[in-house]
Amino acid sequence: MIEYVDTLLPYITTILLISSIYAIFSLGLNLEWGFTGIINFGHVAFLAIGAYTTVMFNMSGFPLFLSVIAGIVLSGFFGLLLGIPTLRLREDYLAIVTIGFSEVLRFILLNEQWLTRGPFGIHGFERPLQDVIPYQHYNTFLLILYLVILAIIYLSLERLVRSPWGRVLKSIREDEAVPSALGKNVFWYRLQSLMIGSAIAGLAGAMLAFYISYIDPNTFKPIETFHAWIIIILGGTASNKGTIVGALVFCTFLSVTQFTNRFLPFTAHQMGAFRMIVIGLLLMLLMMYKPEGIFGKKEELALSD
Amino acid sequence: MDILSVKDLKKHFGGVKAVDGCSIAIETGTVMGLIGPNGAGKTTMFNLISGFERGVGEIMFKGIRTDKLSPFKIARCGMVRTFQIPRALTKMTVSENLMLAPKTQAGERIWDVWLRPRRVREQERQIREKSRDILEFFEISHLGDEYAGALSGGQKKLLEMARAMMIDPSMMLLDEPFAGVNPTLARKISRYIRELRDDGMTFLVIEHDIPAITKISDRIVFMNEGKVMAEGEPAEIKRRRDVLEVYMGGEG
Ligand SMILES: Nc1ncnc2c1ncn2[C@@H]1O[C@H](COP(=O)(O)OP(=O)(O)O)[C@@H](O)[C@H]1O
Ligand SMILES: [Mg+2]
Repeated sequence: MIEYVDTLLPYITTILLISSIYAIFSLGLNLEWGFTGIINFGHVAFLAIGAYTTVMFNMSGFPLFLSVIAGIVLSGFFGLLLGIPTLRLREDYLAIVTIGFSEVLRFILLNEQWLTRGPFGIHGFERPLQDVIPYQHYNTFLLILYLVILAIIYLSLERLVRSPWGRVLKSIREDEAVPSALGKNVFWYRLQSLMIGSAIAGLAGAMLAFYISYIDPNTFKPIETFHAWIIIILGGTASNKGTIVGALVFCTFLSVTQFTNRFLPFTAHQMGAFRMIVIGLLLMLLMMYKPEGIFGKKEELALSD
Repeated sequence: MDILSVKDLKKHFGGVKAVDGCSIAIETGTVMGLIGPNGAGKTTMFNLISGFERGVGEIMFKGIRTDKLSPFKIARCGMVRTFQIPRALTKMTVSENLMLAPKTQAGERIWDVWLRPRRVREQERQIREKSRDILEFFEISHLGDEYAGALSGGQKKLLEMARAMMIDPSMMLLDEPFAGVNPTLARKISRYIRELRDDGMTFLVIEHDIPAITKISDRIVFMNEGKVMAEGEPAEIKRRRDVLEVYMGGEG
């Protein structure tokens, strides 16, 4: 029994850690897509910018906390840079440009070895309070820290989307002609949404780097963006609570199916594909029977009409 | 003084000359009716004036050239429009639709949401109160908490007008405000428009219902095939043979 608990607890800790990182990453996308209607297929780029900036600032001598702030700010700034030329585009073009942006960024990370060490990745950087917390308790500490950060992000976002500011975002999501006719600067609001969503992804990037204590360009493939999409569709578009639950469900599923491997006649590679097929089927069923997601509101379904 | 003047305005869609050299001027504190058969170019005229379409020609609103400005900037100058096909925000409640409208809300700035929460709350309270009054006037206060998607066509029309009223604009462009609205309420709205006009608000109203529009308008512009064919007081317009022919022609 004791042994069982000994292996189970670290396992649950791991799932919760990954879930909290994905939850924050997806909350950023949920602000952009769920509340503002921005189709961003390059969200992972900001995860990468956050992770690399934090790590590189820290390794060049900045205190860890300031490095994380730099990662957040720079991610938001790149959101601004990406948004200025693209947010006036039609939705489908925006989708293409953003995914292109994230892939170009990944190739820069791969090829500019003088800056990023390219495919070898970066490790050996500092982690929060690593000298203070005993090694065997480190993940527990990290989990508590991440849950606190998640709570802060969640409460801040809830406050924002329920404010008049959030009301403008929701009006843009549905029909931007209306807020325009009422004198709201739609472009500026979409830009703000993209900046904040990107900054949140940047924070998630720093958290990811601390957790796996190693980053390389292939950590930031486009599939991560689509994981976030799956999570917010699963949890319910435009529901922050749903996004968190979606992240938990998704990460638990990914993790648990790593064990079912033993019972199925698949190689590891086939198993990866099999998991995606199962997720695809689950999403299709969800769309058929509960299209608004676990916590979404039917009346606010972003895909309807 | 003219609050709005339009000079030689043109908008062509391919070969269709939707608006073809129109000039009109509207005096502050008056109601101008805009009539004409279907396809005359009335809605396109609204789109040009409110910045939703770009055309050729000069538009001056309150002494400012507005023909190159984006819609939201024109709205901020104090002009608000409604749409012929009502654009209710169906995924928001009726009162949210109204509360969206007022300009310079502190809570629309992110830093004020954090730094001045009391001011934001107080303003929200005032805006909510105002939206209740306006909903009551339009006789849809029982629908305040409904999603606007649940409203009928006529109710959406009212919602749009109510939302525009929330801004206290200096000029309102109403595109067929009475279409689908019951006659009693339509009369009430007409009365309200006249009251607001007496307080100094200016209106440009597209309407098909000739008796209704002649009753509320100080002047009427008659458009056909993208051109202004006649302009004058309602009594004059009613006497014009060409106007009558276009309108009555179809009906025999
Ligand atoms: N976006 C558009 N593209 C092409 N043609 C248009 C467009 N908008 C209006 N038109 C055409 O311009 C003419 C005037 O239309 P409109 O301004 O809607 O007339 P009204 O409101 O007086 O009925 C019509 O012939 C219409 O088909
Ligand atoms: Mg029309």
